[in-house]
Amino acid sequence: MAQILEKNKLDEMIARLNGDGCEVFGPRKNDTSSWYGKISRAEEFCFDQILPDRPLKELFFPRTEPMMKYEIKKQQVDAENYVLPKKQRVIFGARPCDAVSLTIDDALFAWDACDEFWFERRENSVIVSIACNKKDDFCMCTSLKSSPDVSTGSDVLLHELVDSAGWRVSAITPAGQDFIDKLGDVFSTTSTDVSVKPPAEVPVKFDLDAVIRKLNSPEIFESDFWKTISVRCVGCGVCTFVCPTCHCFDIQDEGDVYHGVRRKNWDSCSFAMFTRHASGHNPRPDQASRWRQRIMHKFNYYLERFGQISCTGCGRCSRVCPVDMGVTQTLVTLSTNGGK
Amino acid sequence: MGNTLEEHIKRTRQLLECGEVAMVIGYERGSVENRRRATFVKEVSELERMVLDGLCCENLANYLVREELLRSFDGKKVAIFLTTAGVRSVNILAAEGQINPDCVIILGFEAEKPGELDSAIKMLDGEHVDHYADSIQQLKSRGFVNDRAQVIVKLEMMSAEERFAFWREQFSRCVKCYACRQVCPMCYCRRCIVDCNQPQWINASAHDLGNLEWNLVRAFHLAGRCVGCGNCEQACPAGIPLMLLNQRMAQEVLKEFNHFAGESSTQLPVLADFKKDDPETFIL
Repeated sequence: MAQILEKNKLDEMIARLNGDGCEVFGPRKNDTSSWYGKISRAEEFCFDQILPDRPLKELFFPRTEPMMKYEIKKQQVDAENYVLPKKQRVIFGARPCDAVSLTIDDALFAWDACDEFWFERRENSVIVSIACNKKDDFCMCTSLKSSPDVSTGSDVLLHELVDSAGWRVSAITPAGQDFIDKLGDVFSTTSTDVSVKPPAEVPVKFDLDAVIRKLNSPEIFESDFWKTISVRCVGCGVCTFVCPTCHCFDIQDEGDVYHGVRRKNWDSCSFAMFTRHASGHNPRPDQASRWRQRIMHKFNYYLERFGQISCTGCGRCSRVCPVDMGVTQTLVTLSTNGGK
Repeated sequence: MGNTLEEHIKRTRQLLECGEVAMVIGYERGSVENRRRATFVKEVSELERMVLDGLCCENLANYLVREELLRSFDGKKVAIFLTTAGVRSVNILAAEGQINPDCVIILGFEAEKPGELDSAIKMLDGEHVDHYADSIQQLKSRGFVNDRAQVIVKLEMMSAEERFAFWREQFSRCVKCYACRQVCPMCYCRRCIVDCNQPQWINASAHDLGNLEWNLVRAFHLAGRCVGCGNCEQACPAGIPLMLLNQRMAQEVLKEFNHFAGESSTQLPVLADFKKDDPETFIL
């Protein structure tokens, strides 16, 4: 027995969800860019891409968002917290690697102080992922011991039917089962199992354990390896901004002396400004030390602190790097004989 | 028709062997089949990894002003593979006092069909920027005849509201990663205006206003300086058609001030210079 969602039922699904006050988001595309955006009609979905250019994190951790507004008066300061509108959301058509990223960042946003913006959006969102049956040269989920049809982070996982007319539906979490139950007859049930397309065959590019071992070795930190591997890095923040797990942010007050809005903005360890002290001293003085930080953070510090690698293997960093660097080559080199 | 590729490679070997250059900046195979990327060669034995074909599109002049690389030049010359656009970048960097053009040995090339693997490659004669004066003049007299010019005409025909809506939509995707700045040979400032916070000239946030401020300030800073290499548009992860802005500004300074970016290594910057007969139509 299997439950099926036919593609021609998507408009009905959207209408039913919207009718219940639930917004629908999904992969979208225009001439030059693709992202996870709000969907009001099924034709706006674009499932025919490896994955959107922009990561799923921006629906939970927007590139800029207000936290509070303030007004400074003679004897007092008035501050008003920004309250997120309570909206239920379904994210339909996420890629499994993007769904995984949310569970990785949960650990960070719950660490020390709990980030209420992140968790409120997490609680209000149901993630319906579609297993990948296509890949490109940059996909590397299998190298991260994940897979193109991993269910971690998803509430519902869909597998495309062999005839491409729809998907086989599997509930992963209670929230996912609830989503399926609520939509009821939007799904059809077959008495027999159905054939679905096999997951994409993503080749393993490096040995993750070897990378972890190498980064743990005492000599790696001061090694010239970082200079060699990052020689062409121009220090833009593209790889961090398209990364589904990079989560660094900056707090900025915008306004004049008396009024303003405090905002939380994406920041990047690739920027020289990220670590520059007011004195002018910069403890990460060059691109090599910034690149080392990025790799160490993802594959060493994060592992040590949270027991997870902060990389899903989506490959976006290598896909978009304007100088063709990206994380992949560094990891391949580390896992073989680099960093000596 | 100038040198053959073999002659460029031979010359490169010679320059490295006699120690005249500290480094050769060229191209190598990238991480996947259809990519090429910058490579930095210091030893003759590394020369074999260099390639040159139609996929070599990045303007490498950017690396001439990268602080960390400069340190390793150690006062010596550097040899670099450049198209005519790249040579114009070197001219501007020299005119603006950023590099000594005599320290740059140019290995010039031009792809017949840039971006296509099987494109024929023409090697250009001349190792010094001054040798390119004539070909740059030819480019100047040709003006801006390309597909982009057609799009610019269409944008010009829009009403101000329509045009604003167009750019607002484009800029709405900007994430302020500053890749456009980082890959641009003209963005060599040690401290960019967006990184100044006392006062904060430009909103740091990637909201509508902040994105408009950033993209317009950058366009103005490039007026009369952009050589149209396209590094920025190529790098933009949001697919913003930045070259439409840059070319529009370039067309304007050519028309109003007869200024073509990077004509010579002594050209005065259009926005930092004046002539008595400059048009003053904008002054009431």
